[in-house]
Amino acid sequence: MLSRIAESLFWLARYIERAEDTARILDVNYHMLLEQSQQAYRLRWEPLIIMAGEEKLFGKLYDEVNAENVFEFLAFSEKNPSSIVQCVSKARENARTIRDRISREMWEDINGLYYTVTRFHAREEIAAGPHRFCDKIKFGAHRFHGVTDATLPHDEGWEFLRIGWSLERAEMTARLVDVQYHNLLDALPSVGAPDNHQWMAVLRSVGAYETYHRQYHSAIEPEKVAEMLILHHQHPRSIRFSASEVQAGLRAVSGSGPGAYGNEAERLAGRVVERLRYDRVSEIFKQGLHSYLDELLRMCGAIGEDIARTYFYYAVVA
Amino acid sequence: MVNPGLFEGYETGAFYDEMFSSPGQPRAQYTKLFQKLGSMAPEQFEERRKLADLSFLIQGITFTVYSDGRGTERLFPFDLIPRILPHSEWEHIDRGLSQRVRALNLFLQDVYGKQSILKDKKLPRWLVYSCPNFRREVIGVEVSRGIYTHICGIDLVRDSKSGDFYVLEDNVRTPSGISYVLENRLVMTRTLPDAFQACEVLPVNHYPAELSRILRSLSPRGEADAQIVLLTPGIHNSAYFEHSFLAQQMGIELVEGRDLIVDGGIVYMKTIRGLQRVDVIYRRVDDEYLDPLTFRADSVLGVPGLMGAYRAGNVALANAVGNGVADDKAIYAYVPEFIRYYLGEEPILKTVETFLCANPTDLAYVLDHLPQLVVKAVGESGGYGMLMGPTADRAKLVDFADRLRANPRNYIAQPVVGLSRVPSYDPSTGNVAGRHVDLRPYCLYDGENVTIVPGGLTRVALQPNSLVVNSSQGGGSKDTWVLRGES
Repeated sequence: MLSRIAESLFWLARYIERAEDTARILDVNYHMLLEQSQQAYRLRWEPLIIMAGEEKLFGKLYDEVNAENVFEFLAFSEKNPSSIVQCVSKARENARTIRDRISREMWEDINGLYYTVTRFHAREEIAAGPHRFCDKIKFGAHRFHGVTDATLPHDEGWEFLRIGWSLERAEMTARLVDVQYHNLLDALPSVGAPDNHQWMAVLRSVGAYETYHRQYHSAIEPEKVAEMLILHHQHPRSIRFSASEVQAGLRAVSGSGPGAYGNEAERLAGRVVERLRYDRVSEIFKQGLHSYLDELLRMCGAIGEDIARTYFYYAVVA
Repeated sequence: MVNPGLFEGYETGAFYDEMFSSPGQPRAQYTKLFQKLGSMAPEQFEERRKLADLSFLIQGITFTVYSDGRGTERLFPFDLIPRILPHSEWEHIDRGLSQRVRALNLFLQDVYGKQSILKDKKLPRWLVYSCPNFRREVIGVEVSRGIYTHICGIDLVRDSKSGDFYVLEDNVRTPSGISYVLENRLVMTRTLPDAFQACEVLPVNHYPAELSRILRSLSPRGEADAQIVLLTPGIHNSAYFEHSFLAQQMGIELVEGRDLIVDGGIVYMKTIRGLQRVDVIYRRVDDEYLDPLTFRADSVLGVPGLMGAYRAGNVALANAVGNGVADDKAIYAYVPEFIRYYLGEEPILKTVETFLCANPTDLAYVLDHLPQLVVKAVGESGGYGMLMGPTADRAKLVDFADRLRANPRNYIAQPVVGLSRVPSYDPSTGNVAGRHVDLRPYCLYDGENVTIVPGGLTRVALQPNSLVVNSSQGGGSKDTWVLRGES
């Protein structure tokens, strides 16, 4: 497989995942906030911007952090490189350069999603609220996963897709937990008891609300939510599960057996997976949630760089 | 009595009409289609048309136009009413094109080899050496199996006066459009299945397999291990859809220049498992961008060292480098002579009378008769650099006269051919009206035989009265049906 094609597959999957995750977070937060007072309203839009890592850019473009501005910025803005529309456009651009290598169904699906997304009129959607729009993105991403699974040979190309979406998902969940946890516990000390509604929203945004209740049979407690999103071994959006998927994909490409690694990316992925397998949530909090997640995020970043070095880039050798 | 429906009030006008011999009277090959479409309500037809459009959009069958510095993707307009050719007429065209392709290939072998046609003074030496697309760099290079013109797209038009087909121009460099032939057919069979079935149309979808067979036969390392790639300028090229379509259909790798590297005279591609040798390149990059070490040094689309590997015979290129000398619009006037000289045969297809502005007597005639002529730049394609005398305003005529005097070798002139018309649907009015068409069949040459998929791309000038069919100038396309038997 051409290096350029492997790279395009990797990024195609990442962009679709980023669009889906952003849509999920946006949708759930919006509806949760409808039930809140005006005071809380202003406070809780900020984490979404922090999560996207675009506080500076947002500050430059808008005067106020409110529902309309955040929605526009995260969903439609051409200036925000991670806005949903930008992610879908970039996913399509990547798909276009490799459309001979993906199935016809995959291409038509991504192309269809692109036309759906670019034909939304931002103003009307903002007035109508984000649900309809976010739903399209979510189901578009689900369809992409389904069509890919059902029509693309599960060869090394498929593995690069899996590595791409799993790595992106691990990072997005880590950012979600990090930002929301501190927002709720630190930024709102006056509220006193942890805000259950907000935690419900966090769980819903990763589709883990039902799983949580089956698992813990208890009221929603911040530590347990963190445990579930970081350490759960089966929930498909937990960091541990996503990291295992990255590791499995890397091994499938290189052919490394269990316990061995063939390159730096695999070594780091193995280290992340092992940590998440044996760490306890109490230990995580002892270390400090933020520093723990920050470390994970940095390792994920390094895995991405090492994948590029190993498989995508050719050093010029004279 | 057939309900004329869609074709009610249709006027055949002053031009040869492919469908009707006189108003309301379809030609033999169109009888069945007339019955099927004629009984369709306009709303029903409009509904099918929208379905076809949507299908092209979702599949991403678009081309890119550059007007505002930022490329925009456009649909290549598709007209649902097919162009139909009876079997006997197609056989005549097929024979004529095969003859022409063989002669062009022999000419290229000769002009980059012994040059006997120049020594025998059947073609002026200065005309060849002044051709901008004649490549001295490949004189004496032995190409794989002696094939230069693997793929040719030869443009034909039917003259309204005589009703005969004429060759309008040859495209033997990197002709595009075959993907539209194949996709048009697919959409057509989905949109109007009953009409298609009733007419018994010859299939076209063996094209990729035939092309793949020819490419494989060129491999310097034998066919079994042949690594074949399609070299594209990339996603921003207007024909990108076609490149990726053909690569997928043939199951070969679609590569860009940056995916390839030349080491020790061997071409490799960069894969996740290291470098892999490449044997055959179906290149859709123009000669001058292929190798910055040989041609344009500023090219980022090519592969440094590629020409060295080509000369050494370590990699085959299709089409060959330097083919542009054969489809130069001034050389075109000599192709009938090539057929006589190389094959000892009389040309089967007619060609349009051509004035070479490089000849002083021709130039004088052209300047005197500019409003009646079409003037074309010899090395251009895609409808660029053209003057349509009869419709041009005074300023444009004066401007072109100056250009002709300044650089006569760069121009030829021809009488205006009154292109035949086919009924076409106008979505803005909901009416059917005659629109001018040409025909580009795609010819594949394997060194012995020429294979032509029946029909080809019918391009249609969708603007009323326009004679320019190029997609970049507002043209569209139609499916072309060659019928299985006589009707």
